[in-house]
Amino acid sequence: MPKFEKMAYASSDEMIFGTAKNPVKYGRDFTVGGGYVFPELVPHPRPGTEATKKTLVKEYEKMVTDVLDRCVAIGIPGIQIELEHVYQMTRNPDWGGEIAAETKRLQEEYYRKFGLKSAIRATIADYRKPDEEDIRNSVALENMLKTFETSAAGGADNLSIESVGGKEISDYTIVRQDIRGTLFGIGVLGSRDMEFMWKKVVEIANKYGATPGGDTNCAQANVAMFMAGGYQDRSVPHTFAALTRAIAAARTLVAYEQGAKGPTKDCGYEDVIIKAITGNPISMEGKTCACAHSDLLGNLVAACCDLWSNEAVEYHDMFGGTTVAVFTEILGYDVALMNTAIEMGHAKILKELMVQSDKYRDTHGFILCPENAYEIGKAIVSNNTSYYARARAAAIKAGELMLGDSNLQMSAFEKESLQSAMRTLESLPDKEEDFISECADIYKKLIPGFTLANYGL
Amino acid sequence: MATVANYANIFVRYDLISSGEAKGAKVSSKDAALQKVLQCVLEGDSDNIEAAVNEALASKDPMTVINEGLIKGMNEVSRLWDEGVYYLPQAIVASDAMLKGLEICEKKLGKSLEKKGTVITHTAEGDIHDLGQKIVNALLRANGFEVVDLGKDVPVDEVVAAVKKYNPVMLTGTALMTTTMTAFERISNRLTKDGYATPFVCGGGAVSLEYVTGYNLGIYGKDASQAPGMASDAVNGLSWSQLREKWNS
Ligand code: B12
Repeated sequence: MPKFEKMAYASSDEMIFGTAKNPVKYGRDFTVGGGYVFPELVPHPRPGTEATKKTLVKEYEKMVTDVLDRCVAIGIPGIQIELEHVYQMTRNPDWGGEIAAETKRLQEEYYRKFGLKSAIRATIADYRKPDEEDIRNSVALENMLKTFETSAAGGADNLSIESVGGKEISDYTIVRQDIRGTLFGIGVLGSRDMEFMWKKVVEIANKYGATPGGDTNCAQANVAMFMAGGYQDRSVPHTFAALTRAIAAARTLVAYEQGAKGPTKDCGYEDVIIKAITGNPISMEGKTCACAHSDLLGNLVAACCDLWSNEAVEYHDMFGGTTVAVFTEILGYDVALMNTAIEMGHAKILKELMVQSDKYRDTHGFILCPENAYEIGKAIVSNNTSYYARARAAAIKAGELMLGDSNLQMSAFEKESLQSAMRTLESLPDKEEDFISECADIYKKLIPGFTLANYGL
Repeated sequence: MATVANYANIFVRYDLISSGEAKGAKVSSKDAALQKVLQCVLEGDSDNIEAAVNEALASKDPMTVINEGLIKGMNEVSRLWDEGVYYLPQAIVASDAMLKGLEICEKKLGKSLEKKGTVITHTAEGDIHDLGQKIVNALLRANGFEVVDLGKDVPVDEVVAAVKKYNPVMLTGTALMTTTMTAFERISNRLTKDGYATPFVCGGGAVSLEYVTGYNLGIYGKDASQAPGMASDAVNGLSWSQLREKWNS
């Protein structure tokens, strides 16, 4: 059941990069949201190195060393490294654990020698298959939980995941521009699966003294956003993707209701809304994640960040060093600029510049600029009678905002898609149980393997 | 706080160039019943296609409804998509409606329409990013192919066994991770060793032209919309190397 009833901030003006209401302290003298922004670097191993534990651990050792060396070379005060598990690291719990331990060993060495502050996030791969197995009782789940444990025991400070509940529905509905099913897959099923999953993650984190970090709607809202793509893509309407993002905020919130503390997961673009509601520190990615994917809000998305990330970069040589070192440097200077603005009392101006760069570039940036994100947050907390009600309210609010600002231009096709989705959203039942039974009937017929029992229904 | 007076030097909305009026469909039928079928396909209206098809079947034979209603409509949808009028969802819901209509006609015919050929699709071992594959499935089916969908995270052994069982005109693979795409090469090696020359179209975010053309049988698929054209070429007898020559250079 939903828990948040009010906003952590009195207005979006109060929200700013580097500071959160509830800072998180962990790792080696590392505080997130305590006044300054830090980089979060995500290295990705080269293909082939996943073949054995030995080669993969070695790969991480090299990558992490390059990152820490570059921090020291150019004076970066502190850094978080995310171990975003490739499948093999979760499939084999001891691999994930050993890589966390090796990363910690290196971070401790640089802390001792140079005082470089640091922390580790481990993001376990959710490889459950909702349309093929009992996701509440499967080998995949068992391995994932074991890997959370080995990671925490190995030295991960922050435990995170990109959970996939409801994906079997949204995979079907996003490419069909079906907003009802998307609301069902993300807002209802996704939320319910997160409640199940996060109780377990929080328990494990507490057992090992690690911090339960966060979740992201990568499996759904990012699918819609990446498919919407750039200005010339015609896979999913951008307005539809923006509605999906608003729904995702209501879903991702569940992690924090179950006890996650943040910093949130970098690819959760919905996290500005999460910060507005929870006051927890957030990790964001924008222009610096162009190495992993393109987006239309590269500056704007940094406006309220507490960690600034690159999403993932594959380990290779570049003229300026290895990719992980190069991206450490790029993130480091971005963050230095933000922290300079903070020190000189210009943070609000820099925030405004970031926002104005992208607010009207595309619908996604528009709904995620702090003032609109705040409004969507308010719609969520004031409709907290059910997961469904608040997710639907978030989408309707996002739609109203898009239609209500004449500076936000849209093609006729985009506008029609939005209006059609709004008509559907408004016609849906008010009660969650009615919505669930309506959707259960429809999607059981359409989606082979879809079972309500996976969601405790 | 100051506002921006002019965004033109900050970003240009290239998406709004010539985006004015949505251009409509160009096909129609003089027959009112067939027109309804056509309309349902063009609008992706799965709710009403059943009634429309049944109405048309009252006065027409199933093959006419298929050719003059369902397939004609779907061809127009493909054109609208190619020209950028329709987005992917319009193409997919149209194909859903078309397939639903087809099923009714086939029942009346008493047999299934002969498929153009069988294609096996899968997502690589260890990889659950299967959205690209699902789009490929939908587009192949819409174009009259039989699809054997092996699903996601499919072990190499299973893929090889399926090829031996169905002997498809084409095999496809999707991988979004560089650490899982390596399964493709193993599949290729196994098939080649056992004497199979099945064209193996590989796509997905992680894979590249360079990687896929580095092993036998491999043809790089950049966009799901290419899959039906490639499968047609395979049916028409193009070998994997001819397919590679045509689509990858
Ligand atoms: C959505 C997503 C997810 C979703 C997947 C949902 C789903 N149903 O697929 C979820 C959340 C489950 C997920 C999980 C993970 N993900 Co992920 N994910 C993505 C994301 C954001 C988008 C992928 C997507 O759906 N694209 C849209 C589809 C339609 O595109 P597509 O499949 O490529 O298909 C197009 C073409 O390639 C082509 N095509 C595809 N197949 C074929 C076949 C043929 C025959 C043809 C002709 C064409 C063709 O046609 C399509 C377009 O028409 C990407 C980011 C990115 N830059 O791609 C990361 C990404 C792929 N993920 C990544 C990672 C690391 C993971 C995880 C390991 C993370 C973790 N620790 O949890 C897990 C993986 C677990 C596992 N075992 O697989 C990395 C992979 C890095 C790499 N290259 O190795 C990426 C690149 C993100 C990053 N970190 O940079 N992810």
